[in-house]
Amino acid sequence: MTRKKVKLAFITNDSARKATFKKRKKGLMKKVSELSTLCGIDACAIVYSPYESLPELWPDGRGAHRVLAQFKSMPEMEQSKKMVNQESFISHRIAKAADQLKKLHKDNREKEISHLMYQCLTGKELQGLGVAELNDMGWLVDHNLKEIYKRIEGLKKPAAVVDGSVQRAALQQQWFTDQWMGNLSDGQQGVGGSFGHGGAGAGGGDEIIMQFNDGSNHAAMWSNVFFP
Amino acid sequence: MAKKPSMGRQKIKIEKIEVKNHLQVTFSKRRSGLFKKASELCTLCGVEIAIIVFSPAGKVFSFGHPNVESIIDRFLARISTAPNSHDPFHLIEAQRNASVRELNLQLGQILNEVEVERKRGEDLDNMRKTNESHYWWEAPVSKLGLEELEQLRDAMEELKKNVTHHANKLMNPSSMFVSNGAGIFDQYESKPSHGIVGSSNMNVAVNVNSNFGYCHGFF
Repeated sequence: MTRKKVKLAFITNDSARKATFKKRKKGLMKKVSELSTLCGIDACAIVYSPYESLPELWPDGRGAHRVLAQFKSMPEMEQSKKMVNQESFISHRIAKAADQLKKLHKDNREKEISHLMYQCLTGKELQGLGVAELNDMGWLVDHNLKEIYKRIEGLKKPAAVVDGSVQRAALQQQWFTDQWMGNLSDGQQGVGGSFGHGGAGAGGGDEIIMQFNDGSNHAAMWSNVFFP
Repeated sequence: MAKKPSMGRQKIKIEKIEVKNHLQVTFSKRRSGLFKKASELCTLCGVEIAIIVFSPAGKVFSFGHPNVESIIDRFLARISTAPNSHDPFHLIEAQRNASVRELNLQLGQILNEVEVERKRGEDLDNMRKTNESHYWWEAPVSKLGLEELEQLRDAMEELKKNVTHHANKLMNPSSMFVSNGAGIFDQYESKPSHGIVGSSNMNVAVNVNSNFGYCHGFF
């Protein structure tokens, strides 16, 4: 099936329009039929075109008449409640698309700010950022901190299993160190020296905490390691 | 905040659906899709259509161009040719067609924008996925161990301090010396990403139209 994007406008080329009409009309009839079968409901379709003197129908003349009679036997209000024409239908589609767009904007903004936050976490300068970015990032940082504090509390609680927690702490430290070593092996060997001897885990951890708290310098240290 | 992926396109047999819930969902989706196809056919080929559909609950949905009633009347009266185009209602119809054209243009535009944003979201997701696998601190909080969490916490606290500092600097310029040589109020007049020196340093394309209410973020 060809997947060219079609403009939502009248096709001015006569032969292209006729070809499109034939294809799409056939597809439309198929869809009505499927809907009727899948959901066990009554339906009818009437298509007038300049290409045929008689309208194309689904299911057929008798079926269409039957459904129309059923339709007309309903109270006026019921008939018009869910009745749409091009204008109302397209307006509705536009409104739905606008909602979708708003949500996508919001989600993408969050993703961007999140990315920005991680960049700033690892040394990107805050100096050039605008108020909007700073505000949003501040919010996100707070949000993340909330989660982090919650999780830290959750992890610190099970004091009952002493052996398990000691082992786990050691494993975490080791894993943590491995991660650092692994990252550094991507080529920034020069800086490896300052973190390198923290191999036992605890030492390295403390050093890195210090780097963070050393406000004036943290940009430089981090960017050397991770952003060549 | 990742959305659970839907089941995607499943091939189904065309026979009555047994599970009531599935049936209702299918009806809703397919009816909507059917009207969409009908609308497109009218737009693309300039034809006149009416579709009437009864819901499983017995309600009736209908789509018609130019409108349902006129098509039904025309059909029932067995008039095969289009109504006389010289009658006075032709003008009304012409105007209605013009507004439909306008609406379709609008729809096309907004659908394009949706597509652009969706692609952008995908790209951002991919970037995040790559980063998550390389940098432990970008992994979701639930996957981190205690040591890492404490590290991250300290880093975040530090970042928070810096962000607050810079934000205050920008919002209360009278308390700080503006070093870029521009007037103090230039930062208020222009939109953030234009007025602030060095904003081109940002390698992230940011939507300037976001609502930056103080401290309630963008959620």
